[in-house]
Parts: sequence; structure tokens; C-alpha cells
Amino acid sequence: MSRWRGQHSALDSGPLTGVCIALVLAVVPLLGRIAPWAVAVFAIAIGLRLLANYRRFRLPSVPLKIALLAIGLGGIAVSYGGFIGVEPGLGILLILLSLKLLETNSVRDFQVLVLLGWFVGLCGLFFSQEFSRWLYVGAVALILAASLLRFHRAPRPFVLAEKMLAQALPVAALLFLCFPRNHGDFRFQFSRAPNGTTGMSDQLSPGSFAALNRNESRAFRADFPDGNVPPLSQLYWRGAVLWRGEGLTWARGAPSMPVESATGQLAGAAVRQSIILDPHGGRWLFALDRPAVAARGSEFCAGGFLQSTRPVFAPLRYNVVSRPENREAELMPEQRADALKRPHQISAQVQNLVASWRANDATDREVADAALHFFRKENFVYSLAPNTYGSDPLTEFLFQRRTGFCEHYAASFATLMRIAGIPSRVVIGYHGGEFNRLGNYVLVRQFDAHAWAEVWLKGEGWMRVDPTNVIAPELISSGSQSFLESRALADKAAGETSAGAAGLRELLREARFAWDNVEYQWDLRVVNYDEDAQQTLFNFAGLGDFAPRAIVLWMGIGALFLFGILAAWIGRPHCERLDPLMREYRRFCGALANAGVAREPWEGARDFAERAAARLPENAGAIREAAALFIAARYGQRADAPALFKKAVGSLPRMANNLHSRL
Amino acid sequence: MTPSPNHPTPVRVLPNRNTLGLAALLVAMWYAGASQSNGAAYLLCFVLAGVALVSILHARANLRGLRISVGRVAPVFAGEKQRVRIGVLAAAGGAHTAIRIKTGDGADSVAFAEISGAQWLREDLAIDAARRGHFREMKLVASSLYPLGFFSARMTLTIAQSRWVYPAPEGSRPLPRHLAPARNRGVGLRAEGDDFAGLRAYIPGEPQRHIDWKAAARGQGLFVKQWAGEADETLVFAWPDTAGLEHEARLSQLARWIVAAERSRKSYALEIPGTAISPGHSEAHFHECLRALATFPAA
Repeated sequence: MSRWRGQHSALDSGPLTGVCIALVLAVVPLLGRIAPWAVAVFAIAIGLRLLANYRRFRLPSVPLKIALLAIGLGGIAVSYGGFIGVEPGLGILLILLSLKLLETNSVRDFQVLVLLGWFVGLCGLFFSQEFSRWLYVGAVALILAASLLRFHRAPRPFVLAEKMLAQALPVAALLFLCFPRNHGDFRFQFSRAPNGTTGMSDQLSPGSFAALNRNESRAFRADFPDGNVPPLSQLYWRGAVLWRGEGLTWARGAPSMPVESATGQLAGAAVRQSIILDPHGGRWLFALDRPAVAARGSEFCAGGFLQSTRPVFAPLRYNVVSRPENREAELMPEQRADALKRPHQISAQVQNLVASWRANDATDREVADAALHFFRKENFVYSLAPNTYGSDPLTEFLFQRRTGFCEHYAASFATLMRIAGIPSRVVIGYHGGEFNRLGNYVLVRQFDAHAWAEVWLKGEGWMRVDPTNVIAPELISSGSQSFLESRALADKAAGETSAGAAGLRELLREARFAWDNVEYQWDLRVVNYDEDAQQTLFNFAGLGDFAPRAIVLWMGIGALFLFGILAAWIGRPHCERLDPLMREYRRFCGALANAGVAREPWEGARDFAERAAARLPENAGAIREAAALFIAARYGQRADAPALFKKAVGSLPRMANNLHSRL
Repeated sequence: MTPSPNHPTPVRVLPNRNTLGLAALLVAMWYAGASQSNGAAYLLCFVLAGVALVSILHARANLRGLRISVGRVAPVFAGEKQRVRIGVLAAAGGAHTAIRIKTGDGADSVAFAEISGAQWLREDLAIDAARRGHFREMKLVASSLYPLGFFSARMTLTIAQSRWVYPAPEGSRPLPRHLAPARNRGVGLRAEGDDFAGLRAYIPGEPQRHIDWKAAARGQGLFVKQWAGEADETLVFAWPDTAGLEHEARLSQLARWIVAAERSRKSYALEIPGTAISPGHSEAHFHECLRALATFPAA
């Protein structure tokens, strides 16, 4: 009968409510990833389960639960067209969680509910591994643990949960550092977050960078292990080279383009960088102009830039070496052909302009200079919000609007060079960044996205030309702040010039630096702690030659050792919190015990003192006096008695164990 | 109350059904971390693993030093519930949370949410008294799922405590009719309206007032006159009276007679092989007889 009617809740409301709160918090980061109706089912389940406790509703019966499960799974299949993938998986998890919630009515159910909650919390880490997210998930896990502790009647669950967490940290750290990591093939993937790519796009067209301009999110962080940080204005982070130009629109070259050999053509001091790239879903890898050695898991592409062999869905750490100088002697014929392809449509105005630069047999370098001079002289405006251009954007940009963004300048310059017969290409990537003094790294954000041009000059190879530098030199030469930020600051400073506000701003900036540094260290040491980092650590610890199995063994021994220490600590006899007086009394008894008279547990202070005095006649006076002071201190009103007793105990004569010597 | 011995009883922490779920979760978390090289997931996994390990130690410490005692246990008949008063005392300065104490056979349990302070806490446990006998010690199991429920801490104690279970008073035979000779003062005195019931052999040492001297004069030997309805009639329950029944059933039959006799305030004696209990009808006598039955050797 109960099977058909459903039961009343048999669980305490307190722990159950705690778990419900934690579950809701665990689901929050997943909200955008799960079908809204599944989230609604979850919310209803939470509500019903709580009502069952607070309003004595009946829990659903078995047939109802089966029906709910079937409807839920059917809904997932319909919503996502199947069960394969992360998002259907999360949907199923949420449906199961909802049903488990409705079902939970015993100790075992409650345990399972908490386990499920922990796993849902973990799913929040699939989409972001930032430190702040981990803290959030950790807090959810802590609430779940505390609810479980409360369920098992712990008097102060949160205090205990934090205590257990603190005690668990050494073991957790050891496991984290030493547990074998492998990036082997995993047949079943929990998550391949189909986020779509963020940040850069493979194409440059007027306005394509505008979206990035207001995007403050992080692109990557770069550390310079050798300490040779180039000036910020020299930080051109090469992302991709665009070979195919059509006026203001540029695109990547054909995948079949032959790749030049990278190593021989670069010169100058090597700059090592260790970069942590935020996941963007694409295959972009960034490195200082120009990378000389391919990083692990990357390939060289035509034009001298790196590309990851697989899409970057998780924060990626890679090391790369760049050399700033170019010694390219020869341009491969195929590349030269590509680098000289003129746009299909060239207006007479543009043609005439380029022809004017070529007059008097000017060299390629002189032509390039003339083009830059043109940009400087003709009152071009750097604008963050250039309007869209019409059917012949190049002509419109060069002769009418003259308003644009780095991509307009780079694209138009490179196109003009091609019309002049000079091999050219456009490079996109980032420029500059923000130097974090605390962590000694450069933080590059999306709004640092930049485009520049390269021209091939005989005898010099590919030369970087940044036309934006001519239009808005303050952008390129700005110090630690990006152009946007400095502008925003300047706007603000115009409004409020008080020193206090400036100080506060400085303080906020420092705080932001500090927080970003914390996140950087997190990314560096936790998120990107992989097989290689582990091997480095083992080498550092002198374990490099050990077989992985031996390391696991040693990890086990270390864990047991830590566990033993903890066991001794947690299992130590309950130390009674003695007040100072009792501690003194214990000393007093100890002294007498050393002299051969041990206090029996039932013996009162006076009786014991009398017995001891009788056994130790030489010290009878001192013993009686001390005992009298103890009794006065413990039971009397004399305020100075404790101090006097302490003194009396301190000045007890050394009573050798003369009983034994006498016997 | 018999306190448990002072040396601490060893505590064992064992996995239970929930441990399996925990292991599954940790493996799933590890897999999630490994399959996508998710360092943050790894860290969460290992922190939870660490907390689970630490909970083993807390589970052990929670039970350690707990003292358990058992109060005097009233005797019962087999098949009844025997109430046992359990006392628990926290270790000095310690506290014990969510303790469940079961009898060795697991028939009944009591739960203590929190045991702390210097006061004994008491609760009753019911033991299934299935078999007759004298049990000199009692097995108790204290267990707890505290703190996280993924491991069970368990402490098994054997406490010296005498416990009597009498044979179940069962059987359909009527009270045996043969009567014991009155031995004490007043017994066998003739009262008004009593009917002469017959003669029985004289047992040396009995008062001589009821000897049928006429019969003795006829040379028939010494006989004692008996009267039915005698207020101090003494029943004798002897082993042979139950002949034909099974061993345990015989003991049950005897127990039933004893209960019936005691209830009707009749004097009775018990004669079973190895034990003869002289007539009487006090509570002490009642228990003496039943104890004799309880400890009677099995067939």
C-alpha cells in the first residue's frame, strides 16, 4: 500500500535543507548548459522535497518515480537528440539528482545525495578552472560535507568540516603532487565543452576586432623565465599570418602553403616565454614575434607562427623561444607569389596614389616610408568605433572616411604594398599587455588584440610595419596600461583630480594585480600541473630515475606516514582542559609521586597531604602548607591563594625517593 | 551497574555500503580530471579523498574511550523479551556522537545522539531470550556512522553480567495429584470440614500426630492420614511426572506447574535428577526452582 501512496519524510529538516541549498549552488554554474526545463524539474524537486519536510507532504510513490524518470530521460533525448555529449550528460545527471532528491528518505539515500552533489559541483569545473570558480565549488563541497556531518549529529558541523578539511590538506597535497598523471587516451570524455571559439577569428575584416575592444577577458599570461622582459611596446604577440588580401579584408593562406624553415632565419637574443593560454576552443597559440622553436603539441605554419595540433579547450601551458631579429635571405617562390597577389578590384584613385610613391624609381623601402608618411600627413583618425564601409572599402577608407582601427591600417597598408609590387602580409595577434610586478608576468587581454603588416625587403627579409603606430603612437608606446585603459583613466582623471581618488585607484589597481597574480599562480601550479610538471618535480626531488611504480609506492608510504601522524593527533587522549590551578596541583601530586607517595584517584587533597606528610616527615610542613593553600584556592575566597599555591609548589624541596632508599 | 573494564576496548573502523558509493565518486572524479587534464577537478578529487581518509580517524576517535555498563537484569521466561538497562559514560573530557548500541544478536538497539560529561546516560535494550539458561556475560556492539557515514566505527564488548532465562512455562498436563508429606509446623493439620483423602507411607522424621495408629496396630506399617482441601497442601513436581514428553518440553511442563502453584499460593517441591528442592512457596523459592530448571543439563 505504501508503495502506491508514498511515504512521509523521515529525515531531519536541518541537514536536508543544507543539502538542498548546496545543490542549488552547485547547479548555478551549469545553468547556461542545461535545458531550462531540466533546471525547472530540479527546482520543483527541491521544492517538493522541502515541502515534504516542512508541510508533511507525501513523497512520490514508486510508480510515480518511474514515470518521472521515463519522462525526464525522454525529455533529454528529445531536447538534445541523444544522450552522447556533455550537455545531455549534465541533463541526465540533473534529472537523476532530482529523482534521488524526491526519493531520499534514509541514511543511505542521504549519503548518495551528498555524493551526487559533490559530483555536480565538480561539473562546474568543466567549464572554468579559475581559482574563483574552484573556491566556489569548494565552498559548495564544504556545505555538503557540513550537512552530512550535521546529519550524523555533529554538534558544530561547519567547524568540524573546516577542521577535517585542514587535516586532509597534507594528504590531499601529496596525492595531488604524486598521483600518476597521464594524458593517455580516454575513450569516454566527460567534457568537450562545445563553447565555440572565443577571441580571435581567422579572418580580418573591417570591424572584426571591434568586438574584442570591449572584451576585458584574459587571452593569456606570459612569464619570462630568464627575466629578460622586453619593453611592453615591443611585445608583438604573433597569432596568425594572413596571406590572402582583398582590400580591407584579409584571410588565412591556403593550408597547402609550403612552410619555410624557421630556425635559420631568425637572429638576436633568444627570449624564452612560458605561456598559459586561456581556453578559446580554437587552435591559436601566441608567441612573441617571431617564434623560433615549435612548442610541444604545436606546428609551424607558413608565415612563422604556431598553431596547436588540437583545439584548446582547457587552459594550456606551453614554452616557446622567440628571436626578435629576422635574417631571411630568400623568399620561397610559392610564398612570394602569394604575397604579391593583388586585390581584384583596385580603384583608379588607389592606383594613382601608389604610382605616385613609385615615381623616381623609389626603392621598396622608400615606397613603404611614403605610405606611412601618407597615413601620418593625411589626418587619419584612430577610432574604436569606425562605422561600416561600403562597396569599395579601401578607397573609401583611404580617401573619404579616414577613420579606422588597427585592422584598417594594417590591411590597407599591406594591400597598398602589394599594389606597389612589394610582398606583404598581415599579422594578427596581440600587442602589449599588462606587466604584473608581483608575479613577474605579462597579462594579455582580448582588448589587446592587434593587427600589423609585414613587408618583404630585399636583403632584410620580412620587416614588421605597424601603421597604427603612425596614427596613434600613444597606443603603441603606452606604458604598462593598455591604450583603452589609459584613455579611460584619462577621462576619469579629467573629472576627479583629487589625490585621494588617485590613491584609491592605485590601491584598487594593486589589489587587482594581487588577485590576478593569485589566479596566475593557481593556473601555473594547479590547473597546469600535468605529467611534465610532475616529472620536473620528481627530477627536482631527485626521484627522476625512479620508475613510476616506485613513485606510487613512495607516495603510498608518505601518505601512510602522514596518516599516522594525523591518527596520533586526532586519536590522542582527550586532554582535559585543566585550569592553571589543577595543573599546579597535578605538578604537586607528581612531585610527591616521585618521592614515592602517589595520590589514589579517590583521595581528597587533605587526606592525601596527611598521608604524604606522614610518609615524608622531613617535608611534612611544606606539604601541609601547600595542600592548605590548594584547598583555599580551590574552595576558599582568597584571591591570592592560587598564586601562593603555585609558589609553594615551586619551592617544594626536592624530595628524593628516599622511601625506597630507606626500605 | 557493572562498568566495562578500564582498559580501552579496541575500536575497529570498517567500510560499509556507503564506502562503495564514495569509491565510485572518487573514481569518477579522477576520471573527469584525467580525461580532460583538469587540474582543478583533480584537486577537488584529492581533497575529498583526503577528507574521507581523515573521517576514518574521526570515526575511531569518536568511539574510543566510551564506557558501557549493564544494570541488573531481571529473569524472564524463554521466548520473552529481556530488558537490559544500558549505561554509557563519555571518556573523560571527551564526547561521543551518534552512537548506536546493539545486542550481540542485533535484535534491538538504542541510539545516543550525544554522550558527554560525567553523567551516565541510561537506556533500555530488549534481548530476545530465546534459550533457557544462565548467561554470565553479554555481548554488546557499539557502532557509529559519525562523522561522514562512509565508514562504520565498531566496538564489541563482552560485559560480565548474570542473566537468567527460565524455560518457557508450557505444557498441558494437569498438576500432579500426589502430595508431599507435610514437614513443617501446621502442615497436614486437620481442619474443619476436610475430607479424609487416604493414607500414604510415613516418612521418618515427620510429626507423628497424623500417623494412622489403628493401621499400625493392625501391623500394616506406618501410614499417615491425609485430608483433601488441606490449606497447606504440598505439591511435588518430580521428573518422572513428565515422562513421555521431550526433554525441553518436560522442563517447560515443570515450569508451568511451578508458575501455577506459585500463583495459587500452594506449597510445592521440585525433584529433578541432581536437584531436590524442598517445599515452599516464597518468591525466592519460586526463582530457586526455576533456576534449577534453567540450568538443567540439556538432553
